[in-house]
Amino acid sequence: MQFANLFLIRVLQTIVVIWVVVSIVFVVSRLIGNPETSLMPWDATNEDYERIREKLGLNDPMIVQYGKFLGDAVQGDLGFSYHRTGPAIDIVADKVLGTVKLTAAGLVVALGLGLPLGVFAALRRGSPMDWLARLIAVFGQATPSFWLGLMLIFFLATKVSWFPTAGSEGFRSLVLPAFALGLLSAAGFMRLTRSGMIDVMNTDFIRTARAKGLNERTVILRHGLRHALIPVMTILGIELGRLIAGSVIIEVVFSWPGIGRLMIESILQSDYPTVQAGLVVIAASITLGNLIVDMTYRVIDPRIRMAAL
Amino acid sequence: MAAHAEAAIEVEARRSQVRSYITRRYLLVLPPMLIMIAFLIFGIFADVIAPGDPGQTHLLSRLEAPVFSGGTSEFPLGTDHVGRDIWTRIVHGARVSLIVVAIVVPGAALFGTAVGMFAGWRGGIVGQLLMRYVDVQLALPAILFAVLLGSVLGASLRNVIIILLIWTWTVYARLIRAEVLSLKEREFVVASLAAGGSNWWIMRKQLLPNVFNTIVVIMTLEIPIVIVAEASLSFLGVGAPVEQATWGRMITEARNYLTHAWWVMWMPGLALMLVALSGNLVGDWLRDLLDPRLRNLG
Repeated sequence: MQFANLFLIRVLQTIVVIWVVVSIVFVVSRLIGNPETSLMPWDATNEDYERIREKLGLNDPMIVQYGKFLGDAVQGDLGFSYHRTGPAIDIVADKVLGTVKLTAAGLVVALGLGLPLGVFAALRRGSPMDWLARLIAVFGQATPSFWLGLMLIFFLATKVSWFPTAGSEGFRSLVLPAFALGLLSAAGFMRLTRSGMIDVMNTDFIRTARAKGLNERTVILRHGLRHALIPVMTILGIELGRLIAGSVIIEVVFSWPGIGRLMIESILQSDYPTVQAGLVVIAASITLGNLIVDMTYRVIDPRIRMAAL
Repeated sequence: MAAHAEAAIEVEARRSQVRSYITRRYLLVLPPMLIMIAFLIFGIFADVIAPGDPGQTHLLSRLEAPVFSGGTSEFPLGTDHVGRDIWTRIVHGARVSLIVVAIVVPGAALFGTAVGMFAGWRGGIVGQLLMRYVDVQLALPAILFAVLLGSVLGASLRNVIIILLIWTWTVYARLIRAEVLSLKEREFVVASLAAGGSNWWIMRKQLLPNVFNTIVVIMTLEIPIVIVAEASLSFLGVGAPVEQATWGRMITEARNYLTHAWWVMWMPGLALMLVALSGNLVGDWLRDLLDPRLRNLG
């Protein structure tokens, strides 16, 4: 019952988030910007402008425009793209798979690099491995992702052509963007796993596990890591959001076909319906990702299952 | 007696351990500190250090190599695709970054702290709404809203500053609110309330001094974040106007010359990375020194 309530509250929160996003885009695009100027050729007359304003409903009072816009949005209609053909939401939907692929690959890099490095660093504190892990963490946290992407392109795509410089053909083209995207989160996971493991390995139940004669592997993985992973789970939702957000700039750097690149292009072309649709999809997926992580977390750790949000 | 002596030796050993840790920390933070100071000096005295015009093109010496890679001392760090001196542009780029940081970081701190204090102390419907807004904004990719706002407002330094203010104030608001909420329960605050202290007096004399360290730590940690954010906006083409030399724009423009003129991209990129890294290290150090509880905030 309580669990269901929590779930309901979170779903409501998600809806509020999306409403805020849609409203922000509405305010920014209609109140500050002029959608019609980007649509018209340079030699358009005043009558042409008047016609397009009438057609798009831009002459109605703001509040009427907002009501109509929200009504359409609730029905899943976010308008037609100004620059591409078709409904904005379909154009965005076309690119979802690209962003999902990139984000998933980024998460794989982040976890695949962060967890083992964190465990090794914790088990051999002060060793060269520990120093290497902490160095990677410091660099990962400080290097701007677009600059990291460009360095990767420079070294691994132009100096030695191991990977393509851009595009999305095959697995090899995914490696560099995934790495550029995932390193920041890997640094976060590494830090948390390391400190978590150091704490856990000093507890009594680890000593008991060893005293029982379990082999070290079981002690570390089944007893130690499982506990160290709890704090990692708490930031998984945040990191997922960061990865989705980070994919925007990585998509631009690597010309990766995804929502982020589509949106940057659309923003620069003042194609507001597409921008709106893209932001809604991204906001929805971030909050949804948070929701899933949050719920899984509650299932895994009973102590916080019933705790407040 | 022997046990006593042993304990004394142990305490002494522990002390020297702590001392050596502290010296090590200072030695480690010294180089990044110097880099940040250099960044400050470059930014302030850009006109003295690199007196030339950063936009000046030399069409006959395009893509000239830096002096350590076979170039001439006329262009110590080489030139870009239209023959602009990279050294001059980097120094003036530092000035742009510094201006942005100098306005955005204190501005966001002031506004965020005010909101956080209000929401933590008074709360109420307005406080709740403000914090919900903060949650929403922190959950969403700021870069997209920044680009949207940038494209609508147009490219100018003033707009970059407005965008980054909107982008960064929420961090302060959330953390300061959490701090104030816990301070509220403390005896000295409760006692002041009981003694009839006004809201304003308690906020100024008791809450603010107690959250001051937190504010300073976040401000320091925000410096590299703001620098990188400004560079990212310039990189995406919605930052400072074209005629302004910024590190982000220099990096974007250099992308096409990656293969045959590496320095055009590497010089501003290294400058950016060095400053971001140093800012982070100094921030980490200050946080451990002043407010270690902030450690797990990522």
